[in-house]
Amino acid sequence: MGDSTKPGSGTALLDRQEAALGDGLTIAAKKPKKTWWSWGLLVPVLVFFILMNVVPTIWMLGLSFYNFTLTSAGSPRFIGLDNYEQLASDGPIWLSIGRTFTFMLIAVAVQTVLGAFVGYLFWRSGKIPGRRLALTLLFTPMLITPLASGLFWRLLLDPVFGLINYVMSVLGLEKIPFAQDPTWAFPAVLFVDTWMWTPFMALMTLAALGSVPKAELEAAEVDKLSFWQRLIHVIIPYGKFIIILGILLRTIDVFKTMDLVYLMTNGGPGDRTELIAVALYRLAFKSFNLGYSSALAVLLLLIAIALTSIYLFVLNLRTRREAQN
Amino acid sequence: MTLGTTQSPAGQRTRRWKGRRQTAAAIAAVGMASAMILAGCTSGGDSASDSGGSDSASDSGDSADSGDSGDSGGAGASCEEDPDNPLCGSSPTNMQGKTIEFGYSRISGWPPSSAPELMWPQFQEYAQENYGYEVSDLSFAEAPFGELFQKIAPTLASGSSEFNIMIVDSQWLGALAEPGWIVKADNVFDLNPDLDIEPYSSLVTSTYQVYPDGSGQRWGFPQMPDTQGVFLRKDWLDDPANQEAFKAETGKDLPTTYEEYENIMMDDFIEIVAFFNGRVNDAFGTAMMYSKEYDFFSCAYYPFAYSQGGEIWDPETRTVWGVLNSDVNAAALEEFVSLKEFQPETFATQGIGDMIDLFTQGKTFSAFQWLAVGAFMHNPEAPEGGVQSPDQYLAIPLPKFEGPDGEPNIIGAMGGQPWVINAFNDEDQTRVAVDFLKWWYLPETQDTFILEYGGLPWSKEGAANPAYQDIPYLKPFLYMLSEGRSQDFWHEPDYSQMLAIQQEAFSAYATGQISDPMAALEYAAAKQQEILYNAGRSETPPPDGTGELTLQ
Repeated sequence: MGDSTKPGSGTALLDRQEAALGDGLTIAAKKPKKTWWSWGLLVPVLVFFILMNVVPTIWMLGLSFYNFTLTSAGSPRFIGLDNYEQLASDGPIWLSIGRTFTFMLIAVAVQTVLGAFVGYLFWRSGKIPGRRLALTLLFTPMLITPLASGLFWRLLLDPVFGLINYVMSVLGLEKIPFAQDPTWAFPAVLFVDTWMWTPFMALMTLAALGSVPKAELEAAEVDKLSFWQRLIHVIIPYGKFIIILGILLRTIDVFKTMDLVYLMTNGGPGDRTELIAVALYRLAFKSFNLGYSSALAVLLLLIAIALTSIYLFVLNLRTRREAQN
Repeated sequence: MTLGTTQSPAGQRTRRWKGRRQTAAAIAAVGMASAMILAGCTSGGDSASDSGGSDSASDSGDSADSGDSGDSGGAGASCEEDPDNPLCGSSPTNMQGKTIEFGYSRISGWPPSSAPELMWPQFQEYAQENYGYEVSDLSFAEAPFGELFQKIAPTLASGSSEFNIMIVDSQWLGALAEPGWIVKADNVFDLNPDLDIEPYSSLVTSTYQVYPDGSGQRWGFPQMPDTQGVFLRKDWLDDPANQEAFKAETGKDLPTTYEEYENIMMDDFIEIVAFFNGRVNDAFGTAMMYSKEYDFFSCAYYPFAYSQGGEIWDPETRTVWGVLNSDVNAAALEEFVSLKEFQPETFATQGIGDMIDLFTQGKTFSAFQWLAVGAFMHNPEAPEGGVQSPDQYLAIPLPKFEGPDGEPNIIGAMGGQPWVINAFNDEDQTRVAVDFLKWWYLPETQDTFILEYGGLPWSKEGAANPAYQDIPYLKPFLYMLSEGRSQDFWHEPDYSQMLAIQQEAFSAYATGQISDPMAALEYAAAKQQEILYNAGRSETPPPDGTGELTLQ
């Protein structure tokens, strides 16, 4: 932790303001005006946030203590923590969560490495003609809705009517039912997710590289630092926050992956690609088991909060570092 | 309060803690409030706990403003005595000059359910001519089989009359009737005996109308009946070269006519499938539905189980464990999945649409398919080698199995959909719904539906109509609609949960995720028993350790 009384630090700034104003009461007298104005500006957002976010969340929390299936005609029946108890011993759900973490780890790692590589290539290709067009094309998969991507890839990978299997058969290779085979389905979904989101990590890498001061890079050039030395001593120290943010954003996003899987494999074959968001969708909107699915949603919310906390921690870490400097 | 005071760390902590306490209190208060609101809902009768499947829906059916639209204790006086009863439909005077907005829900990608929209202008004329009211162009919402219920259930749960009349799947009757979302059809029949048409067989009534099973209480009106069959390449069967080759390979004559196939045994049929597998244009021998989507796998598998003596549950006690996971069912599942040997690599995701595509494009010799899509089993624009005209195919009933008594036996799964009337309609909308049904069941309307839009007859009179006899898939359809040749499965309110579990288990076995068919059946049976038990619909608890069962 840095010294908070250093020039530029938050406390020192406040001290100076206090000294300049001389009297805390003066501030107290002026504060309400500002506060009401600030609150007035915040009201629309707050109303929206409360109505669309807080109330449904609390409703979901309440519902998780009930046995309630929309189609069973029965009214919600309070069952305390039964849903959570059932969840704790629900083997398929925990398998699904484990599968989701596996998917998350592999997808984020592959996308980060590939994205960093592609981003670096683009960073070094500033004067190559057609760079803008190539960048636009590179980012296209990210801009397509996952539903469309899922359908598009499902058709491409189809062993009877699909182009990829057709090309494979022309080349004398055996056809592979990518989305239907228990061995291939999971890698196929991973591949499409990587196709879609590697550009995002490339974009983050470009942003990270752009944040490295030119002077530092020139100095490294003058000092004849090797590529790895430049990477470790110049690029990473400046770019790491943005890359870490990219990784965290992807982590949170991958955790919620549903539409792509739903379209490509519907969680199958069997439950081989049933990520937790797909399982939640099935429980809530296919089975209409609203009580139990609410309990699962609460569990997922807690996991998402944990991931978001890491994200916020990293953000604050950077703010604190900047404040120290 | 001074800035200095509020900025002290201790003060900050105190304030933060107070703030947290206030936030926690607020959350608790809202949580309590939401719990109380939810608890408030419990003041109604808990009909789900009625494990006996009694007429709980009828008690809550009077949920519409119309008063009489639900089941509020019977249909009441006759229409002569009370012509303004909405369940009578319109009288010549009570709807004069009115303009009514009307909408329905339908299954997307399922042609028979879009016919009402295409035929709607005729109903608009009918309403104007007979009752003097104007009805808007038909608005509709559609979704595939697996998603339509999601679309309509929330609107009904909120008391909406967005869909005044609905095409639904037969399994949904319980889920729609129990909460009082639909009008009891018996009340409409009581007042309009002309709508109570004699069905071709009891299968029509038990599948599209009755809930709870065996109770005789009717909630639905038949819209599109459906049974299962097989479409074969007749042009390939008729090819003398194939006939000679078959004779040379098997020593048997290749059956080519409907009559020869009507009683064919499954083993003999598979011999023909195996013969054609890869023989013409590298086409596969057959195609069946193994998709995890909706009920595709289950319905394709059921005939293998039913016909050999298997059951999926005991409907009296709602016991699944020990019934679904039987040796007969396990052997049937193994047999059904073993047929993937003659099918495309896509077998695990094959559904209704895939059957159409594979067959019409000439990729397969045969397709196990719902006969209601017979009109789409040829495509004039199909490529060479595909099925461009109905003359190229032969539609047959499902092949037979050796039944429990050793005799040839076939029991297929029932398909098709009923109409149901929204209980939240206002009086005028209910009248229009009843008028619509009166129009829908007119012989001329049925003629248009069947002859122009691919519909099928479900009444005794319709089945005997000479105008329909040229439909190339009518014969196997009626054969499978005969008494005892097909059966529907659960009309339970919890059908969706039970189905999703079962589909996942079956798919896991079919794709090799698990290798033991009994393990798939045990998983499905245990989970289904748990669902029924937790919903209070069965007194049979799930076996111990159900929660720990997985499909690994």
